Amino acid sequence: MMLQIRNLHAYYGAIEALTGIDADIPDGSICCIIGSNGAGKTTLLKSISGMIKRTGSIKWNDTNLINAKPREVAKLGITHVPEGRHIFPGLTVYQNLESGTISWHGFFGNKPFQNDIETVYELFPRLREREKQLGWSLSGGEQQMLAVGRGIMARPKLLMLDEPSMGLAPVIVEELFKKIVEINKQQGITILLIEQNARLALEISDYAYVLEHGMITLHDTADKVRSNPKVLEAYLGKFASHGAEML
Amino acid sequence: MNFLINLFIPLTISGLAMGVIYALMAMGLMLLIRAIGVLNFAQGDLLMFGAYLTYCLKDQLKLPLLIMWISAFLLFAVFGAIFMFSVYYPMRDTTWRQTFTITTIAASFILKDSVQLIWGTNPISVKPLIAGSVKIFGTKIAIQYLLIIGIAAVIIWAVFVIFEKLYAGRMMQAATQDKYAAEIIGIPTMITTLITYMIVVVIAGTAGYMVAPIFFVNPTLGTLQLSAFAGVILGGFGNLKGAVVGSIIIGLIQSYSTLITTTYKDTIVFLVIILVLIFRPQGIFLGSKISDKA
Ligand SMILES: Nc1ncnc2c1ncn2[C@@H]1O[C@H](COP(=O)(O)OP(=O)(O)O)[C@@H](O)[C@H]1O
Ligand SMILES: [Mg+2]
Repeated sequence: MMLQIRNLHAYYGAIEALTGIDADIPDGSICCIIGSNGAGKTTLLKSISGMIKRTGSIKWNDTNLINAKPREVAKLGITHVPEGRHIFPGLTVYQNLESGTISWHGFFGNKPFQNDIETVYELFPRLREREKQLGWSLSGGEQQMLAVGRGIMARPKLLMLDEPSMGLAPVIVEELFKKIVEINKQQGITILLIEQNARLALEISDYAYVLEHGMITLHDTADKVRSNPKVLEAYLGKFASHGAEML
Repeated sequence: MNFLINLFIPLTISGLAMGVIYALMAMGLMLLIRAIGVLNFAQGDLLMFGAYLTYCLKDQLKLPLLIMWISAFLLFAVFGAIFMFSVYYPMRDTTWRQTFTITTIAASFILKDSVQLIWGTNPISVKPLIAGSVKIFGTKIAIQYLLIIGIAAVIIWAVFVIFEKLYAGRMMQAATQDKYAAEIIGIPTMITTLITYMIVVVIAGTAGYMVAPIFFVNPTLGTLQLSAFAGVILGGFGNLKGAVVGSIIIGLIQSYSTLITTTYKDTIVFLVIILVLIFRPQGIFLGSKISDKA
């Protein structure tokens, strides 16, 4: 067991966005969290990475992260690739990747990371071609690759991806998901994947959680969740993208 | 012909000297705009404060030159930290960005009043670092102007080196471009902001030290920041290199306009700014895009 979440509540000021989440992310697995817009998926990742006020318990091996700051969480090897990519627009592709090392390199540090860059370039050859281009000038797909690449530069043990498929053409999404599996299988990085594209997410995941109104309403192996009639209806059916109420 | 050269060279040199002073201020303005998103209205007063502080170290405490430089540098850096912890830190979580505009206006008043309390309101004259002048093409040029140009060029170059060539500098750029992302990946954004403030005050204070022999040290030195604002606008608001070049152009325009009028040289500068804002609000440089802000 790697990440163990118990009775997690998260708050935006007075608004309670998560109302008691329990979840386990096993070592080496791909777990996905599916749920409709506004369910609290992003908030859950922010709670883990320390970007929001939260209570309860988030155990990472033996460390409780519930009061940890983002920097401390990042140092432990938990890397959050945020929704909407958030690459640095005025830095080059190379500099964006370089910035991913901050968690272990240190602000004034001087540790080499050429091998890490090479790993990312092998995974996403497009980034090598675009090495000197500024972040803003990349296409949406390339920006997402860069965001994931920057995450890998952090040498994560747990890589959390928030809606990596958002706004991308289906072909690109397929390619990206293959890479996510590759990252998991070849580098042994545990993946926590958040998706509105439930079909694809369930296809590559080992375990799945369904999040609704700040609560986990279903969790099981991805195969079982996929064949759950309510999930079929709400997230995989004709109107899947709307992700209606289910339980 | 000789007459023209005799006129043109000194005006160019003094224009360049004032231009690089504006450029130093404009750089500080831009660094803070990028870091916290607002214009620092105390920029000129930081320069004035620098002029007073160095006057105090040099002429009142009579420190030897090198020791005076080192202690001025350290004091500016410390003051940058104090400035950050008073005008920025307590309000850092505000959702209304302009809060910082108001705190910098407050800082401007406090700085002006403090120097008057400590050093009085009478203008103080200070000696140049190296007195006298040299002849360039037969025209006498005060050495202080050349020193200003030389030292400012080194500082401007150093700032670019810090932000482009050092890992920490690039992380500081990242933090200014996307604070949320910077925090999420673990860049210490409070430290990057703090360092930015320290750099800004060191630059402004040094500029104050350098202009002090040209103007008297007095509480209105801060008004020089208007020309730096003009330089920032001319260079295309948001662009560091543009702000430097724009400021130098402003210095030259001011200087050349003294051929026609000394009283209205600032008016001419603002006429230029108004024309730029009407006809080329993105600044005079081609291709200065929003993204170059970075
Ligand atoms: N910055 C914020 N301030 C206040 N409420 C927020 C903020 N961000 C999200 N919320 C609310 O929290 C809930 C969960 O949001 P979020 O985690 O972004 O959902 P998801 O990622 O599943 O679409 C929503 O009801 C949303 O309105
Ligand atoms: Mg979301």
